[in-house]
Amino acid sequence: MYQEVKLELIFLLPIFLPFLTAIFLFLNKKLFNELITNFFTLNSALLSFAIAAYSFIVLGLDKFKPVNVELFQWISNPDISIGFTLDGLSGIMLILVTGLSFVIQLFSTSYMEKDENHCNYFVYFNFFVFSMLLLVMSSNFLVMFFGWELVGLSSYLLISFWSKKPAAAKAGNKAFVINRVGDFGFLIGLMIILDTFNTFDFYKILQNTSGIAESTITAISLFLLLGAFGKSAQFPLFSWLPDAMEGPTPASALIHAATMVTAGVFMLVRISPLLQHSKIASLLIIIFGLITALLAAFSAINQFDIKKVLAYSTISQLGFMFIAIGAGAYVAAIFHLVTHAFFKALLFLGAGAVIHSMHHEQDIRKMGGLRKKMPITASMMGIGTLAISGIPPLAGFWSKDEILASVFVNGGIYYVFWALALGAAFLTAFYMGRHWLLIFEKDNGFEHSDVAEAPKAMTRPLLLLGIFSIFIGFINTPFFHGLEKVLHVTLENVEVTHLPKGITLVVLAVLSIGAGFTGLIIAFLLFGMELHKRIDLKKFKLESPINLVKDLSSNVLYLNKFGNLFFVSGMKNLSRKVAVVVDGMLIDGSVNFVSTAFNKSSKITSTTQTGLVRNYVVYFGLFLLLLIALFIATPLVPR
Amino acid sequence: MIQRNEIVMLEVTTDWYLTLAAILFSIGFLGMMIRKNALIMFMCIELMLNAVNLTFISASKHFGQVDGQVFVFFVLVVAAAEVVVGLAIIVSIFRKQSSASVDVLNVSRG
Repeated sequence: MYQEVKLELIFLLPIFLPFLTAIFLFLNKKLFNELITNFFTLNSALLSFAIAAYSFIVLGLDKFKPVNVELFQWISNPDISIGFTLDGLSGIMLILVTGLSFVIQLFSTSYMEKDENHCNYFVYFNFFVFSMLLLVMSSNFLVMFFGWELVGLSSYLLISFWSKKPAAAKAGNKAFVINRVGDFGFLIGLMIILDTFNTFDFYKILQNTSGIAESTITAISLFLLLGAFGKSAQFPLFSWLPDAMEGPTPASALIHAATMVTAGVFMLVRISPLLQHSKIASLLIIIFGLITALLAAFSAINQFDIKKVLAYSTISQLGFMFIAIGAGAYVAAIFHLVTHAFFKALLFLGAGAVIHSMHHEQDIRKMGGLRKKMPITASMMGIGTLAISGIPPLAGFWSKDEILASVFVNGGIYYVFWALALGAAFLTAFYMGRHWLLIFEKDNGFEHSDVAEAPKAMTRPLLLLGIFSIFIGFINTPFFHGLEKVLHVTLENVEVTHLPKGITLVVLAVLSIGAGFTGLIIAFLLFGMELHKRIDLKKFKLESPINLVKDLSSNVLYLNKFGNLFFVSGMKNLSRKVAVVVDGMLIDGSVNFVSTAFNKSSKITSTTQTGLVRNYVVYFGLFLLLLIALFIATPLVPR
Repeated sequence: MIQRNEIVMLEVTTDWYLTLAAILFSIGFLGMMIRKNALIMFMCIELMLNAVNLTFISASKHFGQVDGQVFVFFVLVVAAAEVVVGLAIIVSIFRKQSSASVDVLNVSRG
């Protein structure tokens, strides 16, 4: 009992510590210089990570039995309360968010050095961490929705952090508006949930799913799915994420790679007891996940912005997580979420270090041959690249292989899905290989005489994340199901797809390793050895197809343009018409009619106001006569 | 046939008083309409007020009740107060335009 009470109180600390830090820094932002700001924010982040780790260990000793703490009940019927829960799932997210927040803040202290809004950056950053923890630690949908909206807000603040750049301001708006579309679905889902279950509490809802009609569950799942699509940048709501790269790179690492965009995945795993009852929703998730994974991977192969490649890669990896959820492999989805958080944060921070050393040059065509100048960054990004490509024994291999195997084991149409996902994995390896080679290896004829290795405050987080990217995969291998043990209470009533046994698993693993290696080798042949220059392309009539692929890839299959044409311009034209017809004619017309009517009538009546006293006396007399006449004529007046 | 020695006493009934009051009121009202000197108009108002007072008193006498007479006292008090304010206004008008004509004061014309 003593242990439980202690944990209940203590695991709230990491949630509210960043919030207090944000307020504290905001209030003192004129007083503090960079050094003091860094001191406070780093210590607060480290402290909340330590408490988070402690809570997780205590929770683990208690076999991951969920700990609920209800701060207060807001409304008793329907049952709505403000509360938090610590179970395996939220515990993992708690550690992940606080840990990465510390590492990335350490990197930020150097990256944001001498920025005029240095303190503001950390205010927003801490505010984001608070919102994200609110989202993952909530014990009910309402608090989750608060966090859900707040991460949207803080992400907007961080994307448009350099708001003097028009592109940054625009990107912030775009992210916010597209997220709104998803949030709309999320909100409707919440309304249906409240109507059906009369409560928002996760555990109360998820343990009472048996008596509910499948159509209701499907409706709830689909609307929540829309929310997840918006937040996790899935097709068709993905185009905000590449634009969001206008923000500071460390913020991109935390928000748009490691944590916020995984909120959708987290939420779907959270509602997995509901989700498993809806076949349609699961099928939709896997189809949209596949479309996203393939589309984003395809788009990444001809991007030249160092961060945009990573952005599309993030979208693609999120697609993999959705595939896992659609295949019922919820543990694999969370596993990939964790490993991806580490190696994608590593890649983003590496990109940040490169951008920093290149004096804010982001075009990879102007880089090349940086390996000798920046050996630590190059090797760490190399580790990240290998990890994301699925090369064993690095982190990405274990999680991606588990996803692919889980899809395969479902059978039937899922064999096709598996093949497509394998294709996406191959593309991943290819574009990541190209990315690394173009930055660090290929000689593009640029002299980088003034480029040097990034400062230690940047390389240390890189080294830390690099180590994790190698070893984090071992938490859930086919030989040791660590993550499954952590999540077993959370997913108690859920039928989780298990890995195939024996030789099938080995064959699948070999195939997925093969896809990774093939992608890397082709990338090396094309961009390392420049094979395409030695072959006469015209002889094979390959020139126009290759150009077509390049064109389609760099324009994301023209989906953005289509979206602009269809939604943005269409909406603009519609609203213009509404402005002319409804606003101009209907509303303005009626308002103007009232005012002109009053104006004209008052002009008529004002002629009686002559200003001459005797005229008034005449009116007075006339009304007196009228009164007398009335008095005489009315029979009702008693006489 | 009229007898010489008899003095024919015309009985003064309430109607007479009411008629007188009506005539006084009409004179006052007419004066308000046609005169433009503020002082004269003021006197006309007083005339109308007193016509009303006369009506009250005669009605009171006619019905044998004191209500009307009580009202007259009220009217007198109000009239006295009105005189104070009204004369002050007239004095200030006179100061401003050195005539007591109200026709010039048509600033509130619509």
